Amino acid sequence: MRIILVVFAMLLLGLSGCSSKNIEEPKETSIEHTQDSELDSFSDEMEVKEIYDPLSGYNRVMTSFNDGAYDYVLKPVSTGYSNLFHVEIRRSVDNFFNNIYFPIRFVNNILQGKFYYSMQESERFVINTTIGLVGLFDPAKSYFEIEAHKEDFGQTLGFYGVGGGPHIVLPLLGPSNLRDFASMYPDSFLTFIDYDERSYWTLTDTPAEYIGAKSFEYINYISLNKDRYEKMREDAVDLYPYLRDIYEQRRDKQIKE
Amino acid sequence: MRSIYKVFFLLLGMFFFTQGLIADEQTELKKHFLSKIDEVILIVEDKKLLKDERNANIVKTLTPMFDFKLMAKLSLGNRWKELSQADKDKFVELYVHRMKQSYSSKIDAYKDEKVEVKEIQQPKEDRIALITDLISKQDKLEIVYKFHKPKKQLESKDNWLVYDVEILGVSILKTDIAQFKEFLQTKTITALMDALSKQS
Repeated sequence: MRIILVVFAMLLLGLSGCSSKNIEEPKETSIEHTQDSELDSFSDEMEVKEIYDPLSGYNRVMTSFNDGAYDYVLKPVSTGYSNLFHVEIRRSVDNFFNNIYFPIRFVNNILQGKFYYSMQESERFVINTTIGLVGLFDPAKSYFEIEAHKEDFGQTLGFYGVGGGPHIVLPLLGPSNLRDFASMYPDSFLTFIDYDERSYWTLTDTPAEYIGAKSFEYINYISLNKDRYEKMREDAVDLYPYLRDIYEQRRDKQIKE
Repeated sequence: MRSIYKVFFLLLGMFFFTQGLIADEQTELKKHFLSKIDEVILIVEDKKLLKDERNANIVKTLTPMFDFKLMAKLSLGNRWKELSQADKDKFVELYVHRMKQSYSSKIDAYKDEKVEVKEIQQPKEDRIALITDLISKQDKLEIVYKFHKPKKQLESKDNWLVYDVEILGVSILKTDIAQFKEFLQTKTITALMDALSKQS
């Protein structure tokens, strides 16, 4: 019996030793692996979901409009803005907006049964609103290491199996779909930045104020994430389907999380 | 009775042996991947290098880890098989060039970030996915590197090769598959190759 064990131990040691060398081994073979059969072994992974796109004509036009708006308006404005304000100030503005959207994240985490996350979101809100000076800083993350859990109503619907529906490119805001676009309405009741008079206090009350606040948030965001869109755009052969696909893949992932 | 023990220990031994091999392969790949990342960080932080020189060095370091050729083929899906050999070669060349360009342009944005492997998945014997976080001061970006192990090792390539990268759930390869497919519905492969060559 002992002999068997010893033999096994030797085998184990010997063979695991070999395998650990695998990566450093000198390259000996140089065989082209262009066999189609190899490609077939990837086919199940590489299946791309067809996106329902009856509005592609409009979407294409809106994508070009947004792209132009980025180059000729949003980018120059955000560059000027970032020259005026130090990055730490802009980061605080970003934190402030993120903090104010807490009710959206809180409610949608609960709606998806993610109670622990909504509790963490509450902790973040309390910490950042008090110690973080009305949300200008994010000590919840930097000091207490509590991560944010972004959820919106579009994700909640997706969580319960609602599909995206037709893809829609929104003016300036970019790619979306019917589910996510329609979800902006219920979510608007959960923020302090909205376009209507409410029975409770909100930061903005009219469409003009709403657009002003949103534009400020957007310009601030672009100033902090400069080049992100440009770098992404570089890899597009055809911009519209490229951005559409990235959006839908990203949303699918967020819904699964 | 003894023979039952023998069989039992044999099976037990086999089990631990195979488990050991799998775990070993994963940790080796992780180690190798992180050492490559460290090499890239050293190049990025080397202030003496000019930008072009630096990017060329980064691409040179990473090329043995990426299966750009396979990515090129997969990006065309079934259309690949219909291409003539000359078109195949030309397409691969253009695609690989574009990939390298794209990678080195993205690495420019790299500043004081850290890479952590948070999970390793092995859905098949010859596939390993390293799920990593790119951690900066403000953000955490989930990037998945998908590796495959070719049946026969390729010249000047590693054992395990990256065939897809997923950034925040967006697969580079799938995005290309989708956009090329749509492009080819109305245009020819020559037009696609023209578009690719204009990009780089």
